[in-house]
Amino acid sequence: MTEVFQIIDGTKEFHGVKAITNVNFSLLRGEIHSLLGENGAGKSTMTKVAAGVYQLTSGSFIFEGKETTFLNPSEALNNGVVMVFQENSLVPNMTVSQNIYLGAENFFNSLAKLNIKASRFLQSLNFNVDPNLLVSQLGAAQKQMVEIARAVHHNAKVIIFDEPTATLTPEEKHHFFGLMQRLKKEGVSIVFISHALEEALEHSDRITVLRDGELIETDKAKNFNRERIVKAMIGRDLTDSAYATKKTARKKPRKRGRKTLEVENLSMGSMVKNSTFSAYSGQITGVFGLVGSGRTEMMKVVSGVYKRNIFHGGNILLNGKYVRYLVPRTAVNDGIIYVTEDRKSEGFFENFGISQNIQLGKMVAEDKLWNTVSLSEAKTLADHWIERLNIKTKDINSPVVELSGGNQQKVVIAKGLVQKPKVVIFDEPTRGVDVGAIKEIHDFIKSLADEGITVIVVSSYLPEVMSISDRILVARLGQIVEEFEIEDASEEKIIYAAVH
Amino acid sequence: MIKLRNQELIILIVTVVIFAGFSIFLDKFFSTGNLLTLMRSVSILGILSIAMAVVVISKGIDLSLIATLAVGTALASVMSSPDVLPSFDLPFVYAVLLGFLFTAILCAITGILVAYWDMASVFVTLAMAGVIYGLGRTLFIGDELNYLPEDAIWLEYLGRGQLLGVPMPIICFLSLAFIMHLVLKKTTFGKFVYSIGDSGLAARTAGVPVRPILVIIFVIAGLVAYFAGLLTAGAISSINTRMVSGSMIYDVLLVVVVGGIGLSGGKGGMHNVILGTLLIGTLLNGMVIMDISFIVQNLIKGIILLIAIMTDTILNPRDEQTTQQGDI
Repeated sequence: MTEVFQIIDGTKEFHGVKAITNVNFSLLRGEIHSLLGENGAGKSTMTKVAAGVYQLTSGSFIFEGKETTFLNPSEALNNGVVMVFQENSLVPNMTVSQNIYLGAENFFNSLAKLNIKASRFLQSLNFNVDPNLLVSQLGAAQKQMVEIARAVHHNAKVIIFDEPTATLTPEEKHHFFGLMQRLKKEGVSIVFISHALEEALEHSDRITVLRDGELIETDKAKNFNRERIVKAMIGRDLTDSAYATKKTARKKPRKRGRKTLEVENLSMGSMVKNSTFSAYSGQITGVFGLVGSGRTEMMKVVSGVYKRNIFHGGNILLNGKYVRYLVPRTAVNDGIIYVTEDRKSEGFFENFGISQNIQLGKMVAEDKLWNTVSLSEAKTLADHWIERLNIKTKDINSPVVELSGGNQQKVVIAKGLVQKPKVVIFDEPTRGVDVGAIKEIHDFIKSLADEGITVIVVSSYLPEVMSISDRILVARLGQIVEEFEIEDASEEKIIYAAVH
Repeated sequence: MIKLRNQELIILIVTVVIFAGFSIFLDKFFSTGNLLTLMRSVSILGILSIAMAVVVISKGIDLSLIATLAVGTALASVMSSPDVLPSFDLPFVYAVLLGFLFTAILCAITGILVAYWDMASVFVTLAMAGVIYGLGRTLFIGDELNYLPEDAIWLEYLGRGQLLGVPMPIICFLSLAFIMHLVLKKTTFGKFVYSIGDSGLAARTAGVPVRPILVIIFVIAGLVAYFAGLLTAGAISSINTRMVSGSMIYDVLLVVVVGGIGLSGGKGGMHNVILGTLLIGTLLNGMVIMDISFIVQNLIKGIILLIAIMTDTILNPRDEQTTQQGDI
């Protein structure tokens, strides 16, 4: 088989920091090639070179036998290289059909014909999306379908999928992999970036593992197994798997403490509808739900980030008392904190150092506007939390934006925990966190529950929920639909409740 | 200790070069009289920039500063003037307090509109500039030019006087900058201001009282501008409300942006204001001495502002790397 593109001795630097170093990568015609690696390993950077988003600092990029450089994404697109990004690049205020044919319209553009064309096209891909809908009305999975449809429509020779399955339900995933195989039969080469090792093992022809910007190994998928991949990804064996999914591997579940948080018929817009659940102290309550199930929104209402409906909005009881938070500040003062899933936009302050970020949490808890800021206090706090959470940094004043995903998450957690909360809500605590840090964060969350704090962990990653929770709630369509004690829970039951 | 970033070092060097250049090539520039004028005008510009800086650090902008300055001060002088009808003839100190109250209330309204109605500060303050000016002129201030009353000697001392050979406005500017530096860097309030500028959403989620803080920021900015107005009046014993329609607000923006307080919020401090003030002040003064026409001056200022904003965007980019969910 021939190579579609090759990267030879490719190095890409950002402000002197090497994102990839001397990488040799090739993509064959008509293959599905999985890219694996922790966050920051350089997977996206490497593929973005092929997609024309970045250009190599040194080394050469060879496309169809000729050495070239794609200066921008549209040049890559003209050569048949399409990248489907993690966050979507669709125009929210245009319809699905307009988005699919964006940039490829006829001069006299008939919307009706466009819709019919799009409708046929989507059906041929087996995508259940209404071409008349505005993209802003779609859920995450449907948006992704539109993105994929657009890539297919461009007659792409190379499609790069950046974490495509993260937001899909099991059925949608099934469709997606079927589509990938169909594209492969048509001679399209596919780069598949994923966090889910099983998906890569099952569906790809070759696998490449990256670590710290270096290409560790490339081999046929059938020569790999889970252990070999993990070892290549983190450079050592994981003696204790990050996700101890087997029930034998876990200790006895914690007993319920007092009922600290009680939510009755909570409603908010179209995302949360009559949701009822409670949480207990000294226990980890896992909340599982697919994307769009309203799990995050429920927790944001509880912690005051969002406001519930004014009429028939339901009740929230904290320690038996009715509470209603209009801003997070009052919730924080009552001891409820929300550790966000989206740390980059609402988690940390990027110009602040680690110590300042943590100290800010303390200032909020103190709730005194004109207190003086003590540098020594900031240092003490930072030292304490850096040690307790094993945050890896050289300087407590270095901006958080320069840290790795796992360390950023730890800073966000420390910023919340410094407020001495009684109820802690973790939303996707290990999203975008490197494998090594996942275990540390999980251990820390468990230690909080052991201290008697009410802990809620929201996650869309089932193994995480299964390994960490003492009790599992399942969210679907804005409601908590099912509740399992961990002894009774199984992956099948939970998925069934979440989907049906 | 304040560490100078590269950008700040460049500004400092440019300032020194321009100052030296003007001193050599313009014979009127390096004279005691001119330097005093320079420093006085620079101080007023600097104080206004302090006000603007606080707002910009919180990721806002306040275009109503000049209106606040002029109308608040004119109100104080009208209220204490025996000649103007209706004659209130208050003692000047009371009139100043009245102006203080007027400014605080109107700026609180601005702040409330920005914070609680979730409106963009550019538009709110643009509209409020008109409201403040119009309200002041229709209700209280009959004439454009308002003279200070006789019992405003203390203000004239602040505007014109010297302490140990240093003009009072300079002392006022530097001490105000120092106080604001302490407020921003050494109090919880200051940290909250920076956190809001850095990421308003993150600040809210963390439990920072974002809205009240925003209101306080606008009130502080307005009161600082009012103080600048009093100093202006003290310097020339009168206040002309016509300055509202002048180009001073651009000079203030110029100082803040050129000084290195990123418009993206959460960055910079009072040392940036001082640096920016020195550079822009020197430049403006030099242009006046060179007798460059007003129109050309505006052109030059406009170009500098554009370049400064362009540089600001390059230095403080909306980085693709940092805004993405995934990894590198």
